[in-house]
Amino acid sequence: MIQRIEKRPHKLAYDLFKRVDNGDFEYIYRGVFTQTLTRKILGLAESNLQKFVDKSSLQNRIYFIMVEGLQNVTRHQDEVFDQTNDNSGIFAIQKLEDKYLITTGNLIVNSKVDSLKEKLDEVNSLDRDELKKLHKDILSTGELSDKGGAGLGLIEMARRSGNKLLFDFEYVDLYWSYFYLQTEIPSRSENDFEIKNASLTDTMRDIKYLNSLLSKRDILLSFNGNFNQNNILSLLSIIKGQMSLNKAAKKVYYIMVEMLQNISKHGKNLGSPEEGASGIFFLGQNEEEFILTAGNYIENHDVEGFRNRLDAVNELDAGDLNEYFNKILLDQNVIDPKKTGLGFIDMRLKCNGKLEFDFRRINDEYSFYTIQSTVKI
Amino acid sequence: MQSLIIKATEDTPEIIFDPENEIFSISNVSLPENAIEFYAPVLSWLKKYRDNPLPETVFNFNIEYLNTASSKQVFELIFLIDKINEVSDVTVFWHYDSIDEDMQALGIRFTHLVKVKFELVPYEKELLDEDDEDY
Repeated sequence: MIQRIEKRPHKLAYDLFKRVDNGDFEYIYRGVFTQTLTRKILGLAESNLQKFVDKSSLQNRIYFIMVEGLQNVTRHQDEVFDQTNDNSGIFAIQKLEDKYLITTGNLIVNSKVDSLKEKLDEVNSLDRDELKKLHKDILSTGELSDKGGAGLGLIEMARRSGNKLLFDFEYVDLYWSYFYLQTEIPSRSENDFEIKNASLTDTMRDIKYLNSLLSKRDILLSFNGNFNQNNILSLLSIIKGQMSLNKAAKKVYYIMVEMLQNISKHGKNLGSPEEGASGIFFLGQNEEEFILTAGNYIENHDVEGFRNRLDAVNELDAGDLNEYFNKILLDQNVIDPKKTGLGFIDMRLKCNGKLEFDFRRINDEYSFYTIQSTVKI
Repeated sequence: MQSLIIKATEDTPEIIFDPENEIFSISNVSLPENAIEFYAPVLSWLKKYRDNPLPETVFNFNIEYLNTASSKQVFELIFLIDKINEVSDVTVFWHYDSIDEDMQALGIRFTHLVKVKFELVPYEKELLDEDDEDY
């Protein structure tokens, strides 16, 4: 019984969803980072940025900082790879009302913490002109660290964001610490380039909390924001690139397609419908199964229809499901198969067990709808 | 009859219906938001083709991913192809990645719903995608 409650998704889905305001987004990836994956994450971030950022200079700055951050994680995880099971890095990009936050996290050996901290403190102690000079000096002396960095990446991140670099080291064990690096990029004015004071901010605390929460639930990927065909295709390509092509991965892909397109089709946006379909999707993986969860607002008068279709589909066995599937294919009167529950039937046929779902009434107009399905590995 | 050529996009398949060269194929992925809109011209082309078909027609379906909205439309195609079979000697080859149980199951489902010669053709996909150089 306890396990069943633990697995129920709606609480987590809604709590995560609520974190992000209308029109903002939050995209998090946890796991092993590869170059291919890095490219795909950048592609996804880019397609979301294009919608929000009209200034290409700001877009370039954000893009540059993402690339540096992702490359840091990729470089450093290589040292960790064979030595511990928990080598999950994290990458997060969040758009908050007036700023973008880019956060990376990865394990580093304790013996390197002090020198890294020194470098960060040095970068943070310098103003714009000093950073520029240090950058030039390092380039001209060609003094590079064994990781090829010499802190050049850090200097550039600080310069381009116009902010202090926020960082934190979390002690893991005798050998490892978890290193968080967060860059804040104001979205308002390009001239507003004052360097702020660094401290362990709310946004850093927030991402640390989020990482531990997602880690406990074995969540690999979470996207929270507006869903459209563009970012859906980017999310799908990340999954396709990240998972070895086996039977379970194929099923995960198929179910993801349905879930993501359902959000884009049905997801309502409270307050500003013109923003498009907002929702949340996250993918978890434990030793036995993949767990896919999607959530979005729907109108209250649609709840009953959804519930009935889901209940009906959950009650059918494999034989009935197949028969129903065929019936919809053969029915010439069915124009839009989404309305018949073909998507649910298909999901039921591909996943293990029943579809879990929940409706949570938000106000007189809307409810938050969550659906979850699992695929055995 | 004029051929129908639709280039593949990130979410819609490549379609080549070319009677002159006797090529009838659908390949790549089919994940459009609006499957009805995408397949409407394909269906109407097939309806016309039925009026004046080649004596023999071989259709190759080689779709890697398909959303449920597309599977309904692809079945509409196959339903029409079944009708073309009344006036032309038609064979359908349904190609699928051998590890993809669901695409196999969909092919089997279709064979049960139509009379046309319908053959399932599993293929072995290379283990590595060409762009996954770091695995």
